[in-house]
Amino acid sequence: MYEERHDMSKVDRELMIELENVDKFFGSFQALKGVNLTVGKGEKVVVCGPSGSGKSTLIRCINRLEQHNNGKIVVNGHELTDAVKDIDVVRREVGMVFQSFNLFPHLSVIDNLMLAPKLVRKTPKAENREIAMRLLERVKIPDQADKWPIQLSGGQQQRVAIARALCMNPKIILFDEPTSALDPEMISEVLDVMIDLAREGMTMICVSHEMGFARSVADNVVFMDEGEIVESGPPGTFFDNPKNDRTKLFLEQILTH
Amino acid sequence: MSFDIELILDSIPKMLMGIGLTFELLFLSLVLGTVLGIFLLILRISGRWYLAAPTMVYIYIFRGTPILVQIFIIYYGLPQLEFVRDSIFWPILREPFGCAIVALSLNSGAYLSEIFRGGVLGVDRGLKEAAAALGISVRQRFIYITSPIAIRLCLPAYSNDTVSLMKSTALASTITLLDMMGIARTIVAETYAPYEVFISLMVIYLIITWAIQRTFAGIEKRMSRHVRREA
Amino acid sequence: MSAVSGWWDDFFWGSLVVVELFFVALIMTILFGLIGAGAKLSNNRVAKSIASGYTIVFRGTPEILVLLLFYFGSAIILTTIAQIFDPEIKFVDFPPFWAGSFAIALIIGSYATETFRGAFLGVDPGQIEAARALGISSLKTFIYVRIPAMWRLALPPFGNHMLSLVKDTALIAIIGLEETLFVAEMAIGYTGKPFTMYIVVGAIYLGFSTIITLTVMGLERYANRHLEVTR
Repeated sequence: MYEERHDMSKVDRELMIELENVDKFFGSFQALKGVNLTVGKGEKVVVCGPSGSGKSTLIRCINRLEQHNNGKIVVNGHELTDAVKDIDVVRREVGMVFQSFNLFPHLSVIDNLMLAPKLVRKTPKAENREIAMRLLERVKIPDQADKWPIQLSGGQQQRVAIARALCMNPKIILFDEPTSALDPEMISEVLDVMIDLAREGMTMICVSHEMGFARSVADNVVFMDEGEIVESGPPGTFFDNPKNDRTKLFLEQILTH
Repeated sequence: MSFDIELILDSIPKMLMGIGLTFELLFLSLVLGTVLGIFLLILRISGRWYLAAPTMVYIYIFRGTPILVQIFIIYYGLPQLEFVRDSIFWPILREPFGCAIVALSLNSGAYLSEIFRGGVLGVDRGLKEAAAALGISVRQRFIYITSPIAIRLCLPAYSNDTVSLMKSTALASTITLLDMMGIARTIVAETYAPYEVFISLMVIYLIITWAIQRTFAGIEKRMSRHVRREA
Repeated sequence: MSAVSGWWDDFFWGSLVVVELFFVALIMTILFGLIGAGAKLSNNRVAKSIASGYTIVFRGTPEILVLLLFYFGSAIILTTIAQIFDPEIKFVDFPPFWAGSFAIALIIGSYATETFRGAFLGVDPGQIEAARALGISSLKTFIYVRIPAMWRLALPPFGNHMLSLVKDTALIAIIGLEETLFVAEMAIGYTGKPFTMYIVVGAIYLGFSTIITLTVMGLERYANRHLEVTR
C-alpha cells in the first residue's frame, strides 16, 4: 500500500500539467467539453469513466497525439501550440504507455529501448545500452533483452513498453489503459511496476479501470462522462463518498462484479 | 503435324542469346522504376495537394492505359514532336532500347508507388504513435519505423510486380528489339513452327519466373524472423 | 488535333470492337476462374494439379507469347484440318477476335482462379456453421450465405482483373485484330502523326479504365452497404 499522498489543496503545488477549458472535436462530435485539470509534480491521477467518455482523448491531447481545438494546455511550462518545436520538446519529457503496447516488432527488446535515445538525444551506444539494461532490470526482465517482442508474453511486453518510456527520462508518464489488453494473471506484474514508479515520485496520469490501483496509489481520482469531468477528488472521498449521481452509478456498475 | 525436337534444340540457344537483353531490360527498369516509385510515394504522402495531385494523375494515366500503347507513344510517337528531337534526351529516345527502358520504368514506377503506399498504410498506427510519443521526429519515424515494416509488407506485391515487369519486357520485341521474344518471332517467321519455338520459350520464361519468386520468398523469410512465433 | 478529324468514326468502330472483345473475354474469364477455383478447392488430386499447372503457366508467361502461340497454333490446327478436306488450302486464318479473346481469358482466368479461391476460403466459417446449425441445407447455404460473402471479397481484386483485361485487348492488335491500334496505324499512314494517333488510343483506353473503375467502386459500395452504419 502506498501511504504518502499529495495534498491537492496545497496552494504552492508545482504544476506539471494544466488544462484550462479544453475542447476537442472529432468532426461534429465533441469528445472533450471545457475540461479543467491540474496535475502537480509527483502527483498520481487516475482517470476513469465509461467508454467514449473522452478519457483517452484527454491524455492524448497532453502529448499532442490529438490536437485540442479550444482552451489551453500547458505541460511542464510549455504551452501546446501548433509550432513543431514545442511538440518534440514536450514529447521528450512526457512518456506514454499504450493499451496495445506498440513495441516495434522489427527491433529486439533492447533495441526498442535504445532507439529513441539514439535518435533524439544522440546518446552514445555504450551508455545507451547500459541505461537500457538497467531499466530492463528495474522492470525485472533483463534476460529478455535480445528477444523479439513477439516472443514475450503480454505482461512482459507491457513492462518493456514502460521501460522504453523510461529510457527518455521523462518527468511525466501517461498510461492509456495499460492493463486492459492483458490476461488477468498478468495484470499484477504490470501494476507492480507502476506502483514502484509511483513510489519513486514519478508524476503519472493513468486511464484505468483498476480501482484497487486507484485506491492505493492515486492522489486524485477523476471521473469523466461524455467529455466532461464530472467529479474528482482523493480516493478516500471519491470511492466512499461520491457526490454526483452519475459517479455513484458508475461506481456501482464497476465495483459490483 | 510433328514435333520437331531438332528444331527445339536448335532454337533454344538462339533464344537464350536474347536473355541478356531481357535481363538488362528487366533489371534496369526495375531499379529505375523502384527509384521513381519511392519518389512518387513521397510526393503522394507529403500532404501537400500540389505535389500529391499531379502524382495521382500520373499514376492514374500509367495504370489506366496499356503498356503496349505507352511503348508505341514513346517509340513511334515522340519523334513526331520537334522539341523532343531537339532535346538532350533524343539520343536515348531514338533508340528502341532507350525507349523500352523509359516506357517500362515510367510504367512500373506508377505501379510500384501504389505498392509502396500499400505497405506504408499497412504499418500499425499505434507503432507510429509510440514513436511520436518518444519524441522521434517525423522524418526519423519514417526511416526507422515505417520503412522497415512497410518493405516487409510490400514484398509479395513487389515480387508479383517484378514478374509482371519481366513479362512486359517481351513487348520490346514489338519495337524491333531482339530479346528472347524477338528472336523467337523471327525463328517462327522463318520456320512456321510456332509450337516448338513458343512452347520452349514459355518454359524458359517460367523458369525465370520461378527464380524470381524463389528469390523474393527467401528475402521475405529472412525479413520475417521477428514475425514468426517460436514454438 | 485537326489531323484526327475524319478518323473519329473509325476510332469509334475500333472502340466498339474493344467493348465486344471485353465482354466476350469477361464471360470466359469468369468461367475459367470458377472452374479453376473449383478444381483447386476440390479433393481430387488430378484436378488440383491441373489447376495448379494452369495458374503457374498462365501467370508466368508473357501475354504476348500466349497470344502468338494461340493464334499461330490454332491457325495451324485449322489449316491441318482444312487440308484434310481440301488439300489445296495453304493457310486458314483463325479469327483474331476469337483467338485473342480466348487467350486473354485464359490468362486473366488464371488470376481469377486465385481470386475466387481466396474469396471462397475467406468467408467466415462461423457464418457457414451458423447457417447449417439452423438446419439450412448445404446447397442453400452455399447460395444464400457463401456466395454473397464471396463476391464481396472477390470484388476488389476482380476489379483489377477487369482492368488488366481491357488493357490486354490492345495486344490483340498484334495479331491483326481491327480495333483501335489498327485504326491508329492506318491513320498514321495517312497523316504522318504517330504521337497524336497513339495518344487518342491511350485516351480511349483511359476512358474504358475509368468506366470500369467507377463501376467497380459503385458495386463495392452496394456490396458493403450493410457495413456503413452511422452512429
